[in-house]
Amino acid sequence: MAILECNELVKAYGHTPALDHLNLLIEPGHIVGLLGPNGSGKTTLIKLANGLLTPTSGQMLVNGMVPGKDTHAIVSYLPERTCIPLWMSTRKLLDFYQDFYADFRRDRAEEMLQHLSIRMDQTIRQMSKGTREKVQLIMVMSRAAKLYLLDEPIGGVDPATRDYILNTIINNYDPEAAVIISTHLIADVEQVLDEIIFINQGQIILQSSVDQIREEKGMSVDALFREVFKC
Amino acid sequence: MLRKLMKHEFRATARIMGPLFLIVLVLALAANLALRFLMESDTFLPNLLGGLLMAAFVIGMVALAIMSIVLMVNRFRTNLMGDEGYVTFTLPVSSHQIVWSKIIVSTVWFIATGVVEAIALLVCFFNLDVMRDIFSSEFFRQAFHALHELIKEYGLNVPAIAIELIVLCLLSCAVLCLEFYAAMAVGHSFANHKGALSVLFFFVFQFAIQFISGLFFNADEFEHMFNAGMNGMQAFHQMMAIFIGMELVIGAVYYVITTFTLKKRLNLQ
Repeated sequence: MAILECNELVKAYGHTPALDHLNLLIEPGHIVGLLGPNGSGKTTLIKLANGLLTPTSGQMLVNGMVPGKDTHAIVSYLPERTCIPLWMSTRKLLDFYQDFYADFRRDRAEEMLQHLSIRMDQTIRQMSKGTREKVQLIMVMSRAAKLYLLDEPIGGVDPATRDYILNTIINNYDPEAAVIISTHLIADVEQVLDEIIFINQGQIILQSSVDQIREEKGMSVDALFREVFKC
Repeated sequence: MLRKLMKHEFRATARIMGPLFLIVLVLALAANLALRFLMESDTFLPNLLGGLLMAAFVIGMVALAIMSIVLMVNRFRTNLMGDEGYVTFTLPVSSHQIVWSKIIVSTVWFIATGVVEAIALLVCFFNLDVMRDIFSSEFFRQAFHALHELIKEYGLNVPAIAIELIVLCLLSCAVLCLEFYAAMAVGHSFANHKGALSVLFFFVFQFAIQFISGLFFNADEFEHMFNAGMNGMQAFHQMMAIFIGMELVIGAVYYVITTFTLKKRLNLQ
């Protein structure tokens, strides 16, 4: 069964459609890049999969279910900006994730935090922007989820942090699960992707494996992206 | 899961309410000492200091009551409607559980605030001559005697009245929360001007409820609920039942508006 399925999905903000009769099927076992220029509908799609928005029409299914509390238990979501409560200390944040998610592996999270020398009694507010993003990613990737939805995980951080984030994703990813990474920084994520989806103006314009693109078109995903979305 | 939501809600709020309770109790102690020693003095400086401490105590008491409501509103706004909402609304819990956890925890803090304020008043006036004078005065004795007579005369069922008042008090706290929650949920479901719309909806809901209550109290059916054969006590119980019933209906309406909006019209940006 597909882990994520969209059938004729429409989401409109007022009269402006953010997603326009979008059809999509994602199978487990892949790291998928959701790639598109700013305002193409990437974040809207991910928010719909998390039940943070409701579709105007059409259907969004996660593991065969409409997004809700049952899908939240199997989806690990990294929002586009830091959303973890700033007043919490690292320890309280670990307690929080452990209490709510049965698939949260605290030992793994603690190991990664220790590796980054992040103190347990330090509050999120006291951390730099980059550290906050790392802590949030550690919480998200320490879950043994079936679907990871990562919205711009490398936007706004330095190249060294980007490498750390991508390594964290690869090292913690369960081959049975699916990871969807939304970004427009393609060159940085290309190395980790199995599959890509190009999205523009709320519609899917290409879904293909990365190997296929290299073989058939003879170019990198980054080069193809620049060609397709040429201004 | 409701238990876990409440646990973390208490964690988030206790860090603010706990120190506030402590401050008010310390101020109460300071006010007691000020009344006893400083304000009895004949010189200016101790008098001034005593006056300032008393003022600080009064301000602390008012601030605590206001803070308990501000905190209730703010928790809903930041934890659900703000960035934290991305975390809260993706927890494997239902929106009903989220709303209930907020109502229960806020109600507990309202009650705790009431208890702390009562204790603070007792601390402030503990063992003061003025209190002894009041309690041993002829007026107080007569008032107490009159109350006693009243209980005997009308057959006042004190435990029943107490239970009715407690139920009404708890319900009023929950409805107070829901009044704000419904307004914020609806206000934030729009794309722009979320804050202003929340305030607007608060007053719109208030107006609607006042209007409908007014119609109800003026209706003939309301008068028919009280027949001439009722004694005073029966009429009182009937009135309490109507108040409790009204709070239940108002609370249910706000609850449905809140949970429906959070479920169907959630619009986090």
